[in-house]
Amino acid sequence: MDILTVTNLTKKFGKFTAVNNISFSLREGEILGLLGPNGAGKTTTIDILLGVTKPTSGKITIFNLPFEENRVQILKQMNFSAAYINLPWSLKVWENLYTFARLYEVDGFKEKVQKLMKEFKLYNLKDKPTDSLSSGQLTRLYLCKAFINNPRLLLLDEPTAFLDPDVADLMRKYILKEVKTKKTSILFTSHNMAEVTEICDRVIFLNRGKIIAKDTPINLAMRIKFCRVRLFFDEKKKNAEELLRNYKYIFSLEGKEIVVETEEEKVGQLLGRLSLAKLKYSQITIEKPTLEDFFIKIAREKI
Amino acid sequence: MKIISYKLPPRNQKMKFNRIYALVLRFYYLFRHSWDRIGDAFYWPTIDLMIWGLTSTFFKSFAPNAPQIILIVLSGHMFWLIVWRAQYEITVNLLEELWNRNMINIFVSPIKFSEWVTSFIIVGLSKAAMSFPFAMLVVYLAYKIEILFFSWYFVPIILLMFMTGWWVGFFVSGLILRFGTKVQTLAWTFAWLIGPFAAIYYPVSTLPGWAQTIALFVPASYVFEGAREIIYNGYTDPTKFYISFSINLVYLILSIAFLYSSFKKVLEKGLVKVY
Repeated sequence: MDILTVTNLTKKFGKFTAVNNISFSLREGEILGLLGPNGAGKTTTIDILLGVTKPTSGKITIFNLPFEENRVQILKQMNFSAAYINLPWSLKVWENLYTFARLYEVDGFKEKVQKLMKEFKLYNLKDKPTDSLSSGQLTRLYLCKAFINNPRLLLLDEPTAFLDPDVADLMRKYILKEVKTKKTSILFTSHNMAEVTEICDRVIFLNRGKIIAKDTPINLAMRIKFCRVRLFFDEKKKNAEELLRNYKYIFSLEGKEIVVETEEEKVGQLLGRLSLAKLKYSQITIEKPTLEDFFIKIAREKI
Repeated sequence: MKIISYKLPPRNQKMKFNRIYALVLRFYYLFRHSWDRIGDAFYWPTIDLMIWGLTSTFFKSFAPNAPQIILIVLSGHMFWLIVWRAQYEITVNLLEELWNRNMINIFVSPIKFSEWVTSFIIVGLSKAAMSFPFAMLVVYLAYKIEILFFSWYFVPIILLMFMTGWWVGFFVSGLILRFGTKVQTLAWTFAWLIGPFAAIYYPVSTLPGWAQTIALFVPASYVFEGAREIIYNGYTDPTKFYISFSINLVYLILSIAFLYSSFKKVLEKGLVKVY
């Protein structure tokens, strides 16, 4: 069942087209990554889906209802968190959460807030003013607010941007648990490609306002034909460089290592050529392409 | 296998008290943590009343034939305090959301525009309910003047002052939404733009001809004229209050329409870009 359907969405700011005729859908219990370089149109898309930016054209359906006409009804079951949005600074942690729990009309909100503060490791900070929290604690507070109404649809714009790896991992586990147990659907943006690969079921790549790729993180990574072969030479490194140059390989030097970029199926041929030339490497590492490689290629427009 | 089923809440066009209360609560929490806001509610009105009271006491010593001068000045100042408080709560609370970058959080929640506006009105009313009696007490203790001297006229005067404060507040908020915090100074200064034409401390006839024409369109001027008549004669023609109410009502409707159109305009460029 589709929770969110976006059809031919376009947003223009004067002559600049931030979002250019994009269409996609999000299924119940799915985590969809919305990725792209800075200025690709991710945040504008999210703002339109939240109703805080008006689209130039296009149709948005959430929970099978047109968004514009059913805004209040739909927003009751949605929530949002972003690194660039704050909560009132002078309010204490619990005061901010109580305010939003009431705003979303959460039943038994006091118990809900207590439970969330414990889960997000904020309980000991509950009486602290928001402006005294560290950036990591703030991010946890924003996430806590995002889960306050048990949303069916959650939009997270770089939610783990300022978290240390340990807490970021806890947050990812919490998000995955919510998806599994409550079938929450999540639209997720992040610049951490390892994180996206770990938690997203599907990924949409935006560039200059257009969708240029839609697939699972693994399939997208596989679109990169090249892999990296790291060869460590104790001796005859110069000879190896000369051989690679003669065969017109793309390579770079990193200390005693030579990093060769080649198609995955031609790794055997590369190693055969080195062997025939009696150039012995002491270590070899083959790095398969990742989502990050795909991202970099897109950002540099090489695909 | 656990089957999870969802039901959408019923579509309801009515305003919800819970959501309005949530926003009122948010500003109550802010108030109790902010010495700045507490000062605005109690400290500055006290200082103003002391200065104006002492000044008018001094003037009274030169004009023994004008025994009501202190009451005219202080009641004028206190009624203007209501205009100020009502408009200030609307504009500064909007600014507070912009300074905190919290506007998005508010408007991605199921809040309605009408509920947001109502919460500002309630916050203004409740703050005035705190600071106005306090100011009355200060005036009574310092100058033995009872503002309740106005008897039942007190009710329409207060209501009309609130109405003026609300439309000023909504109009300035509309400007802030359109132009951002670079015009935030209007939150403190705009009410004083109409102050001279409202004839707070002096009769409209004191104004030059062109300013008297402007005063005709300033609803507060009718209230202050009426209040002075009550002080002098013990009564006033209620027509003044009817005219003031009618102009206030028109301005209030126009200012809310302007605020709403500003809000819609802001959505064109994105609420996130307003600060």
